[in-house]
Amino acid sequence: MNWLEGVRVLEVSDGLVDLGGRMLAELGADVVAVGGDTDVAPERKLAWHHGKTRLAADDVTAVASLAQRADIILNGQRVSDRFGLADALAGADNVVHIRVAPFSKSGPYAGRPATDLTLMALSGLMEVTGDPNRPPLRFPGEQAYALTGIQAATAALLGLYARRRIGQGQAIDLSALQSTTLSNYREAIMYEWTGRIGRRMGNLLVRGKSGVRQVWPCQDGHVTWSMIDNPPMMRAIVAVMVEDNAAGELAHVDWDETLVADMPQETIDRWQAIVAGFFASHSKARLAQWSLEKGWGLSVVNTPQDVRESKHLKARGLFVEVEDCQTGKVSEVPGPLFASSVALPQPRRTLEAPSPASAFSGWEAR
Amino acid sequence: MSALEGLKIVDFSWVGAGPRATKDLADNGATVIKIESRKRLDLGRLSPPFAGGVKDPDGSAFFAQTNTSKQSATINLSDPRGVDVAKKLIAWADVVVENFGPGFMDRIGLGYDVLKQIKPDVILASVSVAGRSGPMAGFRGYGNSAAAQSGHAALTGWPGRDPHMPPLAYGDVVAPMFATVAILAALEHRAQTGEGQHLDVSQIEPMIHVIADLYARDAVPKKSGNEDDGFALHGVFPTSGDDRWIAIAARDSLELERLGRVLGIEADVSSETVAEQTPRFDRFELFELLANQGIAAAPVQDGKDVFESPELTSAGHFQPLDHPALKVGKMPVPPYVLEQTPWAMTRAPLLGEHNRAVYVDLLGMAQSDVDALAADGVLA
Repeated sequence: MNWLEGVRVLEVSDGLVDLGGRMLAELGADVVAVGGDTDVAPERKLAWHHGKTRLAADDVTAVASLAQRADIILNGQRVSDRFGLADALAGADNVVHIRVAPFSKSGPYAGRPATDLTLMALSGLMEVTGDPNRPPLRFPGEQAYALTGIQAATAALLGLYARRRIGQGQAIDLSALQSTTLSNYREAIMYEWTGRIGRRMGNLLVRGKSGVRQVWPCQDGHVTWSMIDNPPMMRAIVAVMVEDNAAGELAHVDWDETLVADMPQETIDRWQAIVAGFFASHSKARLAQWSLEKGWGLSVVNTPQDVRESKHLKARGLFVEVEDCQTGKVSEVPGPLFASSVALPQPRRTLEAPSPASAFSGWEAR
Repeated sequence: MSALEGLKIVDFSWVGAGPRATKDLADNGATVIKIESRKRLDLGRLSPPFAGGVKDPDGSAFFAQTNTSKQSATINLSDPRGVDVAKKLIAWADVVVENFGPGFMDRIGLGYDVLKQIKPDVILASVSVAGRSGPMAGFRGYGNSAAAQSGHAALTGWPGRDPHMPPLAYGDVVAPMFATVAILAALEHRAQTGEGQHLDVSQIEPMIHVIADLYARDAVPKKSGNEDDGFALHGVFPTSGDDRWIAIAARDSLELERLGRVLGIEADVSSETVAEQTPRFDRFELFELLANQGIAAAPVQDGKDVFESPELTSAGHFQPLDHPALKVGKMPVPPYVLEQTPWAMTRAPLLGEHNRAVYVDLLGMAQSDVDALAADGVLA
């Protein structure tokens, strides 16, 4: 039995809710998506809309009728209500209606246009991402939309849980800006408590009086690791460097008596030069294996190709084949959201072609 | 009444990847008992900033914002008597959450098989860097490991430059959001089938899911700085002031034309000509001007801007909460408003603040036994 067996979700797609609908489909819900077809890149359709029934909005009344038959509506209409959902849902007490907008309903920015980029700019995340001498950077993909989509799925499931208890659905308003800003857990409270304002530091991790590197070249790519105050970790890595005859003065440091964060920058730079030489003489795979065995806390910086070919992710079944029904092309995209001791739902692994909403007969009246 | 009132959770998780999930559930009314220990402090309690700048396990603002609405009880899980007390709490719980290294719960006698014997329909949610199965199952990493492993770091930044790490532990943000969804979905499954389960949430996989559109491309995805092929113009441009910027996203030629009019560009509205004109404007004033023209734009805000944002203030995004150590701290609230079952956020607990409420009032243990176990370092 699917986890969300029998749960009907109407998604009015416009970027903000698309991942939310995709997550609910992955959990076994019957998701019908309206919109989200024009001006959307093919890869975004494939990533966010596979496993859903896709409808073209040819008939406003048909969409409004679907809203009345849904358990959950992920309403991503940003400003206007082009399907008349507010009127259609008057008296529909059973529906959990999540209304998602870029900003709060009645705040000073209500109704303003927004995109993933502009939401990221407002969240405070871009200000601290990138190099000091270059413009602020966004995160890859569309993270403001993704974060909002996950919150939409959360709100939907909260509404479903509450409906089981109180016997009725409810309206839920969700702000994309708040969803994005919530992920920036550091900058606002740092300002509140210290008055300090974070700036872009490149790949430098600044703690205490000094900064340490996070990204290191190795023989065949990059790894991430930082010289932080973790004596067992430092002892573990230096032990291997000693065996490799590459530890230099690090072999003589008493890590239990050393606070890296308080060391002069020139000392840290000297120590990091030794580590850089060690990393540069080994491959990603070798360093990763040592880290796994010895507990260094080092990670390989995977290229996207590494990720696609990862034996670990293959063993976990992350990537699944999805067929585009319009072209017949099969692509690999992330499938299951997590693993479980019970059988996961088995959603459709197809990207359907949109069919007219007026012709959809999949949801009988209840 | 909040949405999850009546839901009972025992939370063994620490730092960020688990506590952010149980915070979601606690703010929405679940009773979340956070199990922690003075013998092995939650590193979140040791994370700055601190009230008054003094390191204090009860005074971390980071911990306070990550653990709102929870109760705190102390158990030393390295003592078998502590594990016995934990089992009593598990018998009470609907959901158990942990983010220890893989295998730790089994080693202390609290593996899923044991939990199932205590409570057959229990939901155990485990969050780890790489998950509990596969060749990397034992991987121990820190907050940014998932950014490196998932391709995020490789895909962040300017073409031709080194990988770029996010400025915060983004995996500690995304993975717990997936854990929250997983737990709520598992509760729905249990309501329909009566069946509990062991959820295995990896930090790497959610980080891949949120860039699934990049992986859905035919070609191997490449980093693109701030560019987006789907827009006529998409970037960040300098404005007046030191290190001040505005993000602008114009969808088509009509929006480009309007953008050009605002900036006084007569022909060829491009990233280069826009960058020449934007320094004449204040970033917030230009935001207003472009919004009035229906063009998506926004100032690049820093931590101060965010904290003082009129939009976020209007939405009540930072809620002041009285706290014995922090005095008044402004804590970010959930981003949604449920009309019938609103969230209700209360302050984060002091270390062990609810020992009596949990052990005596809830579990029915004698106060003298609790005192003896505390003196022995078991409930500590």
